[in-house]
Amino acid sequence: MNFRWILVMALSAAPMIAESVIALPGKSPLVTLRLVFRTGSVADPKGKEGLASMTAAMIAEGGSRRMAYQQILDALFPMATEIEWQVDKEMTTFGAETHIDNLDRFYAIFREMLLEPGWRQEDLRRLKDDAVNFLQVSLRGNNDEELGKEALYGAIYDGHPYAHHSRGRVAAIRSITLDELKQFHRRCYTQANLTIAVAGGYPKDFAARIRKDFGKLPKGAPETVRLPPPKPFEGRRLLIIEKETRSVAMSLGFPIQVRRGHPDYPALLVAQSWLGQHRSSGVRLFDRIREARGLNYGDYAYVEYFPRGMFQFEPDPNNARQQQIFQVWIRPVQPETAHFTLRLAMFELGRFYREGLSEDEFQRTRNFLSKYINLLTKTKRSELGYAIDSRFYGIPDYNSYLRNALAGLTREDVNRAIRKHLPLDNLQIVVVAAGAGQLLDRMLAEAPSPITYNAPKPNEVLEEDKIVEKLPLGIRRENTRIVKVDTVFE
Amino acid sequence: MLATAAETSNKVFPYAWDQSDLANGLRVITVPTDYPNVVALWIVVQVGSRNEVEPGKSGFAHFFEHMMFHGTRSMPPDEYEKHLKRMGAASNASTWDDRTIYHTTLSKEDLELILRLEADRFQNLSYSEDVFRTEALAVLGEYNKSSAEPAEKLLEVLYDTAFDRHTYKHTTIGFLKDIQDMPNQFHYSKLFFERFYRPEYTTIIVAGDVTPATVGPLVGKYWSQWQRGNHSPVIPAETPHDGPRNNHVDWPTPTLPMLAIAFRGAAYDDTGIDSAALDMIGQLGFSKSSYLFRKLVIEEQIVDDLSVDTFDHLDPNLFRVTARLKKASDRERVRKEILAVLAGFQEKPVEGKKLESVKKNFRYSFALRLNNSEAIAETVAHFVALRRTPETINRMYDRYAQLTPDDLVRIAQKYFVDRERTIVTLAGK
Repeated sequence: MNFRWILVMALSAAPMIAESVIALPGKSPLVTLRLVFRTGSVADPKGKEGLASMTAAMIAEGGSRRMAYQQILDALFPMATEIEWQVDKEMTTFGAETHIDNLDRFYAIFREMLLEPGWRQEDLRRLKDDAVNFLQVSLRGNNDEELGKEALYGAIYDGHPYAHHSRGRVAAIRSITLDELKQFHRRCYTQANLTIAVAGGYPKDFAARIRKDFGKLPKGAPETVRLPPPKPFEGRRLLIIEKETRSVAMSLGFPIQVRRGHPDYPALLVAQSWLGQHRSSGVRLFDRIREARGLNYGDYAYVEYFPRGMFQFEPDPNNARQQQIFQVWIRPVQPETAHFTLRLAMFELGRFYREGLSEDEFQRTRNFLSKYINLLTKTKRSELGYAIDSRFYGIPDYNSYLRNALAGLTREDVNRAIRKHLPLDNLQIVVVAAGAGQLLDRMLAEAPSPITYNAPKPNEVLEEDKIVEKLPLGIRRENTRIVKVDTVFE
Repeated sequence: MLATAAETSNKVFPYAWDQSDLANGLRVITVPTDYPNVVALWIVVQVGSRNEVEPGKSGFAHFFEHMMFHGTRSMPPDEYEKHLKRMGAASNASTWDDRTIYHTTLSKEDLELILRLEADRFQNLSYSEDVFRTEALAVLGEYNKSSAEPAEKLLEVLYDTAFDRHTYKHTTIGFLKDIQDMPNQFHYSKLFFERFYRPEYTTIIVAGDVTPATVGPLVGKYWSQWQRGNHSPVIPAETPHDGPRNNHVDWPTPTLPMLAIAFRGAAYDDTGIDSAALDMIGQLGFSKSSYLFRKLVIEEQIVDDLSVDTFDHLDPNLFRVTARLKKASDRERVRKEILAVLAGFQEKPVEGKKLESVKKNFRYSFALRLNNSEAIAETVAHFVALRRTPETINRMYDRYAQLTPDDLVRIAQKYFVDRERTIVTLAGK
């Protein structure tokens, strides 16, 4: 990459203020803007889960003081520019990309949306419906995979500030008032919490202009949320979400101590990539579950939160978190193979834990990641996003951080990290399925789950199946729970 | 480098691309961009679910895309994967109505290797029946993963209702009964490969840190032995309908009611105005800046999602408006509102100012799409699937630029006729 990184620290009278600008000037006629506040759903008060998300929604999909929402849409339409917004646990993001021809007009609107929101009751009414429909219909009703993955986080972080979905809880969303939104905006949308990032062929003084304009926000103090560790649990827990659906979606995972910047992060990234690089064939879980046996469409592993994985190949930046989980995503299977597939995933995880990677597997995976990281920042949007995340984690720019770390890594480092961070004794499993009671009984009884195929299989697969079909899942009844789908996110 | 929109008033696609054909009919398009180091290789095969003319074969083009990842005699799939991993490449494929696309994004130093690997699998694909039968189950898994989404079912029923003869009657994933029968279609899969995986159906697009002088010889080296085929598909034309059609989907679990209103649309056309005008009408009538969006979504708040689709197709497809409602009791209201907007286009020319706003939106949307080499290759691939040359892009945007309010009235009168209308509703439990 042949551009220059320019980091402009705010020239503020108060040197405590951490507000800063990441600027990536270039010749492109497209200008990319990304504003990230270090606040998110962990700042939701009890009983008001969804307040952080609703505040951002009111800004990005509501009117400003001067313009009603429809006027904003009408003004942005000929520019073909939309405001992207995202609220996660600890970050709130507003982004847009526009053509240099339209930059001034666009920015004037964008600035007002963030600095002087309209706080209109009719916008709130509409956006509450949207938030509730997202949780009840789009997630709970229409998308078993994302439902399972989000419910996994909910189960692991029970009683923790991460527990509720970042969009909120249905009853709490309904109760949010305009005053609460205004207060949240005043409290959390501060200079201290803000990072401004801009890229492209913008005018020279543009970055300074944004910084000056956003100097109107309250200064605030840098917010460091002290998070408790997730509640420890012993053994393997199973949550089945009972739902009328034709297939069975499964996810499993447990908290890890590792995040970007941790000495073992690069090692776990290699491990995860070998086991289940997102949406990639030729990796272990995919090979054994889909390729060798045709049980589903794909199977992947993660050491960082990756929402909306069914719709995209690369993760969205700016979902940075202080705490992460290790997660396996098993795409929907036919109901009759659900028990076997879960056993097979556990069998593979067990082998992964015991044996780790061979030298050859390690070398190939490391080599892959060393090159693949360039593709993660192929757009200015993602380049800016990764730069902001790197600040959150206190690391240099992601690509050089990772490239350097990978260069010094050994197979032993990776296998040691697997053994240290990924034991399988305590883990949470979430299953979305019809006939939850019967499935649970079969799993608790550890009943054999033999499998038949529509084509001859190599002996090694058949021999392995004899072990897998009887593999104990080791779940005790007191660690299981069945919930009706219509109670999730309520 | 992309110039400003003002400077390129005649050319929305600003890159200096090169196009050449091998003797066997394979076409190569090279698009040098200013993004360093990275190269995007997009191979477009002009076969899709539109080519699935035989009964019981819906979904086959997509299934075949899966089979293309099962190796050759000299390059078993795990070896192919090892090469991709060594390159750090991002690789995938997708199938749609009119085309199948195989794409890889990689570092420029690996271009020769990927062209060699791809040439091998396109010419020498080889798999056993056992592997074929197992892969059919992965396709069923793909169907399963989206099966909880009512919008998928709504569209499946909409197309099945709106077409009698043309293969657009089925979606790309195919009917469930055909997917379940896929394991038994091994011999047909060989025929499919023989017919369509041929140079005259295929275009190689290379975009990024490359020049035609490097790409041309590499493609010649590995792809010129590929034999031309002799199959010409006969896609049954849809005959005129004799009246409006309706259908309904009962969804087995709770969900929000949906409504899809569709009219037979126009085929993609960069020489006439029909498809360009329908694209414009779609945005004027149903975008976030439209009267109807304001009324139903923002003011009355009885609809939470309003969208229009006028996707480019080789043959006439559908002009389709979809709404998700908050209450089933508003369905008749919303149906009438959408139809009234469409009737409005037939009766009265739109204000010139509004038309200009959509024209700007189209040009800037296009410019904003071209923000990295992969996106540039993807954009070119879309148009190559339709006309096999990037030149069609500028021609099409010229059509948009020239449209007048009177053109839209004429096209609305031609296409929004009751006998070619299909309405499908969906209701949850």
